Amino acid sequence: MQNPGTGTRPGGSFAVSCEELTFSYPGSKERALSGISFELRPGEYVGLVGPNGGGKSTLVRLLNGLLRPESGSVRVSGHDPATEPFEVRKHLGVLFQNPENGLVAPFVEDDVAFGLENLGVPREEMRARVAQAIRGVGLEGYERREPHTLSGGEKQRVALAGLLAVEPEILVLDEPTSMLDAAGRREVLEHLEVLRSRKTVLHVTHHLEELLNADRVLVLNGGELVADESPERLLADPELLRENRLILPVVPRLALALGLRANFKTPEELAGTILTGAGSGTRSG
Amino acid sequence: MRLELRDVHHVYAAGTPFEVAALRGVSLTVEPGEVLGIVGGTGSGKSTLVRHMNLLLLPAGGEVLVDGVDATTLKKSELRRRVGLVFQFPEAALFAPTVDEDVAFAPRRLGLDEDEVRERVRESLGLLGVGDLAGRSPFALSGGEKRRVAIAGVLAMGPEVLVLDEPTAGLDPATRGELLDLIRHLREAGVAVVLVSHDLDEVAEVADRVCALHAGRVCAIGTPAEVFYRDPGLAPVTVRVASLLQESRPEIGEPVRFGETVAALSALSGV
Amino acid sequence: MTSLGQFYPVASPVHDLDPRAKIVATAVLVAGLFLIDSTVGLLFVAVALVALVGASRIPVRDFLRLLRPVLFIVVLTVVFQVLFSREGTTVFQWGFLEVHAGGLRLALFLTLRILLLVGVAGVLTATTAPVELADGIEDLLSPLKRLRFPAHEVAMMMTIALRFIPTLGEEAEKIRGAQAARGADFSEGGPLRRARSLVPVLVPLTVGAFRRADELAEAMESRGYKGGEGRTRYRELRFRARDALALCITVLVLLIGVLL
Repeated sequence: MQNPGTGTRPGGSFAVSCEELTFSYPGSKERALSGISFELRPGEYVGLVGPNGGGKSTLVRLLNGLLRPESGSVRVSGHDPATEPFEVRKHLGVLFQNPENGLVAPFVEDDVAFGLENLGVPREEMRARVAQAIRGVGLEGYERREPHTLSGGEKQRVALAGLLAVEPEILVLDEPTSMLDAAGRREVLEHLEVLRSRKTVLHVTHHLEELLNADRVLVLNGGELVADESPERLLADPELLRENRLILPVVPRLALALGLRANFKTPEELAGTILTGAGSGTRSG
Repeated sequence: MRLELRDVHHVYAAGTPFEVAALRGVSLTVEPGEVLGIVGGTGSGKSTLVRHMNLLLLPAGGEVLVDGVDATTLKKSELRRRVGLVFQFPEAALFAPTVDEDVAFAPRRLGLDEDEVRERVRESLGLLGVGDLAGRSPFALSGGEKRRVAIAGVLAMGPEVLVLDEPTAGLDPATRGELLDLIRHLREAGVAVVLVSHDLDEVAEVADRVCALHAGRVCAIGTPAEVFYRDPGLAPVTVRVASLLQESRPEIGEPVRFGETVAALSALSGV
Repeated sequence: MTSLGQFYPVASPVHDLDPRAKIVATAVLVAGLFLIDSTVGLLFVAVALVALVGASRIPVRDFLRLLRPVLFIVVLTVVFQVLFSREGTTVFQWGFLEVHAGGLRLALFLTLRILLLVGVAGVLTATTAPVELADGIEDLLSPLKRLRFPAHEVAMMMTIALRFIPTLGEEAEKIRGAQAARGADFSEGGPLRRARSLVPVLVPLTVGAFRRADELAEAMESRGYKGGEGRTRYRELRFRARDALALCITVLVLLIGVLL
């Protein structure tokens, strides 16, 4: 783990840093988060996994100031979300789970403009940035569409465009594909791939296959950070997976069952390795 | 019970400029006690199709037959008891002050006496593993718990066919596994299950037969192997891996389920 | 397409007018109709309205459908006036039923006025998209901000309502279907029974709506929403010469009607 002191310095070199973050919901005896500490470096793509009720959604809301910590600190681009939430929200955007309830305006382009309107951006500049954001998610032609006529994947892309228009350096994705079907999931993940290395991303999900190319994966369970691993190490640790109710995606699970290592990402990779019948190098153990 | 759809057509907003043909002649059967998987992309007509199974929607053309009898001649309440339909995100329809009151809704509507109703409620909640939630308010439960209560509410009718429209949508993977176990259990108990799902891996694990829909038509129907190996690019992971190996190693055959795929691939020398 | 019941999406010079001009014109006409005291005056305005409907390229049949809700009131008015007025010469008599000329005249006058009131409002809603109406109302109310009137908040509420009405409609349909699949019957029994049968639909719909509102609020705040202070507007309303012209014509028509 990093030296906890560095992230809390104003203007520190981390995009996001949390130190001993603790939070309980009012009226609840249990702690939703107990003393969480971690950092996100600029440009990192970090996954966040763990069982439901483990604190993931709570953490997301502490990062953008919707909730205030009981104790401990959070710094986003040098600012404290509890005292400067609107400043933080210029630097950190959140894509929520339910595509329906994130869209506020009756037309796509108006919704994409919402964040810019809130910032008081002049109309001329808004038009250009909205057009660019809509292009960026592949929805040219959708400007005057009404949200309820869109598919789940399209709605999430509109929400993503709305976030990108504000040009935050940090994106937090709170289970963005869990309510989408396979096609919608593909659409959204495609466009999220493009953000890699251009933005700092914290991707909360239940689907480990979405994190195979992440730099690191954090595991949150019962309000505690129980692991901070590379995706490969995580997939290869059945104990860790079981304790945190994490399910291996089918490809690595198949590989393990065949006596190979779990670090296969696509059916093609796995088939390729089986065909060449590679020897002891790829076997586990 | 054998449920059959014969050349069913359905048109939304007929006669208006917004007219759209959702089903263009779909024929399929649900055999007694089988698990039938229905797959297809958005707009393929899956949800429209299943709403015809309990005549929530009436076909614009073609027929729906229950054991050879035209379903429109049956009493609606009788049909809906025998063919239980669980919508996508069914927890949105929970309404009663307590879980057992909600699950009791359907059995009460059937006119059963209170003892029978209580028994049905107890049984269904038990089957879904949420018996201990009986006195709680449905609105205070977690997403997965709510989903299970909603499904219990339909099971309490004692249907012969249970139609599930994307039952695992939005659930975490651990809970999904439990629902698949439920489906297997129901099959053992003689209840036929129609599973509409966009998750092909899920369908691969439990289906006895699969029906693939595209643009309102059936483009393939048969055993999972028959349907999935036709287009291995759009198939469950197990089929995708196996089909890539088939050309050089035809002895693998056409495995679909995880277990049989592991067995088939392990038998290859060198693995 | 949504169509909040009334908006008829077609291209026409009336559709193109600034919504603020249309709203003001409607308000002026509606108020002014009560200043016209002659049937001839109302007939003149009626002719102008017909011309307006023509210019808006709305099929007559669809427009007449807008007038249907008031048919009942019109019939009631006519019956009342015709049967109970004792003014003017007797036109028809049957037992103690008397129909007088005065009654017939008044019935015509009142009918015309009711139809014109509804017709004018109908043209407004048929030629102006709900979103534009909301924009127009927000803009017209914004001077009231100085008097602490929450013009922005009202407009925001209208926009959000417009955004979610189709969604809530679909949700209601879905819930209705789910309860029907469990044996609910919404068409049996007397009015009380039917009202009770709606509980399994209304309760989840309401609870769902509150949850939706919570999630929406979170999303809005996360996107930097902090009320109307310092906020700019993406949509633009431009008042042009033709809008001023439309307003002048409206006032002119009204004046002539009053004078006739």
